[in-house]
Amino acid sequence: MSNLLFLLILLPAVAAAVCYFVRSSAVRTLTVLATGAILTAASLALLGQETQPLTVGSVLGIPSDFLIAVLDFALLGVIFMYGVKHKSLLIQGFTLAQAALLAWFELIMVKSAEVPAFAVDQISLIMVLVVSIIGSLICIFAIPYMKEHEEHLHLKKSRQPQFFFFMLLFLGAMNGLVLSNNILWLYFFFEVTTLCSFMLIGHDRTEIAIKNSVRALWMNSLGGLSFVIGMMLVYSKVGTLDISAILAGGPQGALMVTGVGFLCLAGFTKAAQVPFQSWLLGAMVAPTPVSALLHSSTMVKAGVYVVLRFAPAYSGTLLSDGVAVCGAFTFLACAALCIGQSNGKKILAYSTVSNLGLIICCAGLNTPLAITAAVLLILFHAISKSLLFLCVGTIEQAIGSRDIEDMRGLYAKFPRTATITIIGILTMLLPPFGVLMGKWMALEAGAANIYVIIMLAMGSALTMVYWARWGGLLMASREAGAAREKQAALISLPLMTLCLGAVVLSLASPWIYNSMLAPMFNAPPFALSFGSLNAATGSFAVVPLFLALGLGALYAVKAASGFRKVKIVAPYLSGSNAGEEGTYIGPMNGPVPFSAGNMYLGELFAEGKLTPVFNALAVALIVLMLGGAL
Amino acid sequence: MFGSFIKKSRAKSPWIMHFDCGSCNGCDIEVLACLTPLYDVERFGIINVGNPKHADVLLVTGTVNHRNKKVLKNIYDQMPEPKAVIAIGACGNTGGVFRDAYNVVGGIDKVIPVDVYVPGCPAKPEAIIDGVVVGLGKFAQKVEEAE
Amino acid sequence: MDTLILVIIGLVAGPVIGGLVAGLDRRVTAWFQSRQGPPIMQSFYDVAKLLGKEKMVVNQWQILCAWVYLIAAAVSVGLFFAQGDLLVIFFVQAVGAVFLVMGAMSAKSPFSQVGAQRELMQILAYEPVLILVFVGIYLVTGSFSISAVWELEQPLLAKMPLLYLALGYALTIKLRKSPFDFSTSHHGHQELVKGVLTEYSGPYLALVEIAHWYETVLILGLCALFWSTNVFWMAALLLGTYALEILVDNTMARMTWRWMLKRVWLLGMGMSVVNLIWLYAG
Repeated sequence: MSNLLFLLILLPAVAAAVCYFVRSSAVRTLTVLATGAILTAASLALLGQETQPLTVGSVLGIPSDFLIAVLDFALLGVIFMYGVKHKSLLIQGFTLAQAALLAWFELIMVKSAEVPAFAVDQISLIMVLVVSIIGSLICIFAIPYMKEHEEHLHLKKSRQPQFFFFMLLFLGAMNGLVLSNNILWLYFFFEVTTLCSFMLIGHDRTEIAIKNSVRALWMNSLGGLSFVIGMMLVYSKVGTLDISAILAGGPQGALMVTGVGFLCLAGFTKAAQVPFQSWLLGAMVAPTPVSALLHSSTMVKAGVYVVLRFAPAYSGTLLSDGVAVCGAFTFLACAALCIGQSNGKKILAYSTVSNLGLIICCAGLNTPLAITAAVLLILFHAISKSLLFLCVGTIEQAIGSRDIEDMRGLYAKFPRTATITIIGILTMLLPPFGVLMGKWMALEAGAANIYVIIMLAMGSALTMVYWARWGGLLMASREAGAAREKQAALISLPLMTLCLGAVVLSLASPWIYNSMLAPMFNAPPFALSFGSLNAATGSFAVVPLFLALGLGALYAVKAASGFRKVKIVAPYLSGSNAGEEGTYIGPMNGPVPFSAGNMYLGELFAEGKLTPVFNALAVALIVLMLGGAL
Repeated sequence: MFGSFIKKSRAKSPWIMHFDCGSCNGCDIEVLACLTPLYDVERFGIINVGNPKHADVLLVTGTVNHRNKKVLKNIYDQMPEPKAVIAIGACGNTGGVFRDAYNVVGGIDKVIPVDVYVPGCPAKPEAIIDGVVVGLGKFAQKVEEAE
Repeated sequence: MDTLILVIIGLVAGPVIGGLVAGLDRRVTAWFQSRQGPPIMQSFYDVAKLLGKEKMVVNQWQILCAWVYLIAAAVSVGLFFAQGDLLVIFFVQAVGAVFLVMGAMSAKSPFSQVGAQRELMQILAYEPVLILVFVGIYLVTGSFSISAVWELEQPLLAKMPLLYLALGYALTIKLRKSPFDFSTSHHGHQELVKGVLTEYSGPYLALVEIAHWYETVLILGLCALFWSTNVFWMAALLLGTYALEILVDNTMARMTWRWMLKRVWLLGMGMSVVNLIWLYAG
């Protein structure tokens, strides 16, 4: 097992170095492909392994804990330097405070004791799979994408080496983060992801990119600071760095729970929960693979992972309810903000934050049912959302816009991309797919808490609206014999894989649950029979639903595919149709082309007006949550 | 059995699209009068729909002119088969008193095939209902011929 | 086995009941307007006629969406009769609603586009109310499964009167009744033509119509759960509710989506929340 773990964490780092130093694009392509393949294989191989904690003795004669400590300070130094470079007092302040507290913590507080550095359990296993497989697919997608991206920018010197360096490093850091058992190691990887995301967001070096990357950095440094404080408080009570030992102890008094509350706050900043959502929205300026990587499989998932990881340490406390309410509030607030958006990437960003809110809410609800919901949501949301990001990236390169109004009628010219996008959207919002199943579990788990359930009910309706209208406007008529759409192999491979994965894994979800999630609990929330998940509170008949709706949908597709035999007529336009579909003869006997726009409910869901209100409310809720720990 | 039920249903559910092709509104008012409680054509399953794609019977009032003949043709084309056309009033039948006007093409049948002509200036509601009933008979006949 | 039989009964009886209810509805409405009105069987004649008409579409998405709408509606009724999970039933029904909207958006027709957007506003209005109603049922019975409702000894209505009223909003929207008939107007000769249904024609309109019958049965079934202890009272409750719907339909003008959102979110949600607080406290 130890070899696999090192492979998962160190291989991306080595591959990243290769990409950075060897400036040949062929070598880079090969390295990325090979790393992707090996990571996928290694993460799958990890499935069949015995799981036991792993101690890392020393590397090249240096004790590994000491090495990590040195790297920690080096990292903080680098971040501080960027703070100086961009003249951000916030970054400087937060890093200095972090460094000071960390030094105190490591030198004075921690009594050195050997702690297993890594441990594998069900949650980290699923996270490793998500990171290694989806992350690799995104990196593969980035190869042709970045080539075209740079052609657009007319760069003198390719900056892809740096790009792939940080992309791959990111994967390694994420794997390290989810596998860490020593809280200091967790903190180290947490900081690496912060630095990587900063570099990736600012990759294009435009004014706005730099501004947004600096914002991401200070918000995440705040998260880092919060993490250090949390770590110290927890350690001062339980006296160990071993995460599994901390979790096994459960909540132990106000001081320790407050510490966990700070750890959750760190998770909130990473997961871009309201009021920290602005860094993730700003991250949209980065090339699309970055957004996909940040939003689906890594970065933000690191945040929810931390909250979810420490769930046993605050179960049954008021902090737990606070986390649930904060998460539910983010779910609702970001769904509401999303209604007003027409920028495709912003919709994806808000919907991501919203879904992360749902996951965090589940962690806060802290019942086996809710934890199951959270893990399933992490998995399925990662697949569907990364698919959608890659779709938007492909569409953007095809039509030169990421506005969904410009995507209207995309099917006419790009049937393949449009169909995949529609499927991606459907897997995000409809049964029998996994994300909806997760939402269903979340609703059933949340029904026990009136504040949570009301926010979830409203957020759920808003979610339905912004997805449905996006899916609908992609559909259009396509002329017979129109030119076929061409898609590069390295673009269509990740798209098809993710698309298939979203459908097939949803179908397999009862077994995923049974083999990977049920063993986590003493009393598993569901019993499995005939491919449906049954509980006393309700049941989700996954396989029967798949059969009924799937066969029905297949029949519908078959019926629809014969449409050329049916009489095709133009839409009804009060009888004054002109040549092209949708065009009518208007004033002065001239043609008026078709145009339409979605209702964005500007007067109700204006981003500018709502954001400050939501931020203020969220800050109040977070204060309430942290106070609840006392 | 289902086929014969469909056949029977055709006569029992004629959805009507009313198109004013430049009428003086005399006939239009009479068409709408058919829907009032006094005549209550919904008894026969007749519904006034506003969309050729949902209609079985096209009721046209008024003369056709060069401006609206395209519209009339387009609406007729957008009705799915089987369908019937009923021209209402003197103008719809022949162009009426306007037939010699410079801008008038003539009756409805100059543009689309007409199944039933309902005379009158304006046509009485009873005559219109009668026209629809005759029209239904005609299109049952047409369906049978087609089969 | 019993479940399977029940499901089949539901799938067959669904459209029959839905069609009869629609016919009765038109008959009673005519009576309100001192007319005679069409035969009770009129809806079946309409659908049969539509099935016999020429197939005509703008594009293939309409065929796909009409079928999926029907299938999703039928599956949700099937699940209802299988005593399934209320939330799952609702989400399956939402599949149909979403596809209906998407099909309407696929055509470059201003009428169906406007209708589709308004339909989305309706979904936005009724969805939270319905979810809260289910939560209410969960709080009373301890389960989201319908089977738990039959084991009650006291009708749900006694515990959830305000939620039943809130459900009335959802019912009115789902039945496409005034004042909430702005996504597809009853009467096609108005500014909206037929809104979201404008471009569906012939057999595909028939599919949409049958799906609507299923939805009618589903939502009436939901109302029936509120008096699960006594068949006669259940029938009386359904009759009374539906009669009230027809009365509202005939006495209200069509309102705008803004009016609807305000009403349903403030009044409907307000009533639901108050009722939920009682349930949480009690």
